[in-house]
Amino acid sequence: MSEVTIALAGNPNTGKTTMFNNLTGARQHVGNWPGVTVEKKWGGLKHQGYDINVVDLPGVYSLTAYSPDEVIARRFVVEERPDMVVDIVDAANLERNLYLAVQFLELGAKLIIALNMTDVAASRNHRIDAEKLSQRLGVPVVRTVANRNQGTKELLDCIVNLGQSVNDADFRIDYGKEIEREIKNLQEIIQKSLLSLNYSPRWLAIKLLEEDDEVTRIVQGKG
Amino acid sequence: MMRCLGMVDSGELVTVVGLNGGFGLCRKLADMGLTPGVSLKVVHSQGRGPIVVDVRGSRIALGFGVAQKVMVDGRG
Repeated sequence: MSEVTIALAGNPNTGKTTMFNNLTGARQHVGNWPGVTVEKKWGGLKHQGYDINVVDLPGVYSLTAYSPDEVIARRFVVEERPDMVVDIVDAANLERNLYLAVQFLELGAKLIIALNMTDVAASRNHRIDAEKLSQRLGVPVVRTVANRNQGTKELLDCIVNLGQSVNDADFRIDYGKEIEREIKNLQEIIQKSLLSLNYSPRWLAIKLLEEDDEVTRIVQGKG
Repeated sequence: MMRCLGMVDSGELVTVVGLNGGFGLCRKLADMGLTPGVSLKVVHSQGRGPIVVDVRGSRIALGFGVAQKVMVDGRG
């Protein structure tokens, strides 16, 4: 039997924990992420012969490294490498929420977008073309209403499908000529080092240019 | 009229025109959706202490010092 580990991520108050409860029911454990007082929740379920482990990440607006919850969310995705990240997106606040989704894509994570609270979005007359969104971002998009347990099965089917496929996502943002030139230079250096085994070279290069504290430390330590 | 966010009364609608912080603060504020051009509503402000703003569909609390670094314009 195959096993997949998924991380549930998303902005605060988008329904991650509701979705987590839908997925795992009572089969969950609560603990702490090491070193900080941020609750860690994980659980498991079976679907179509797959053992699916679900980890609930703290709600964050971005993957910079300012607060403990952001660092945890990022470290988990970067270092523990879950098989995929399910980003719970508040459909009623799409613009704000897609910012995080794009950061996951930049990290090179295998991503599923759960377009949650589609009922709230509809009540505000937001019409969202999930298929177009999926095409543009190159990732599956599943509509859900977590507090009524709608779309949970579709999400699970999607997880199993994606679990069988290879990650061929080739998402990149064009940062313009000057920055792309520097990214390329750094990327070439990183590719020759051991760092490229654990991290996406392009992502490291971008974060170095952002002067991200944690990435700078990682590179100084191993580079 | 341009002023800092800390000077805005509760209930007012304003537009962000600039951020007067360092690199790190500007990035953090941008992450939370406070970018130049975005309109926001001050939900709670006492002229001192932390303030609460409603921006892009989320309510965010900002320390007064941070609020003083966010430049806003009168109409949202």
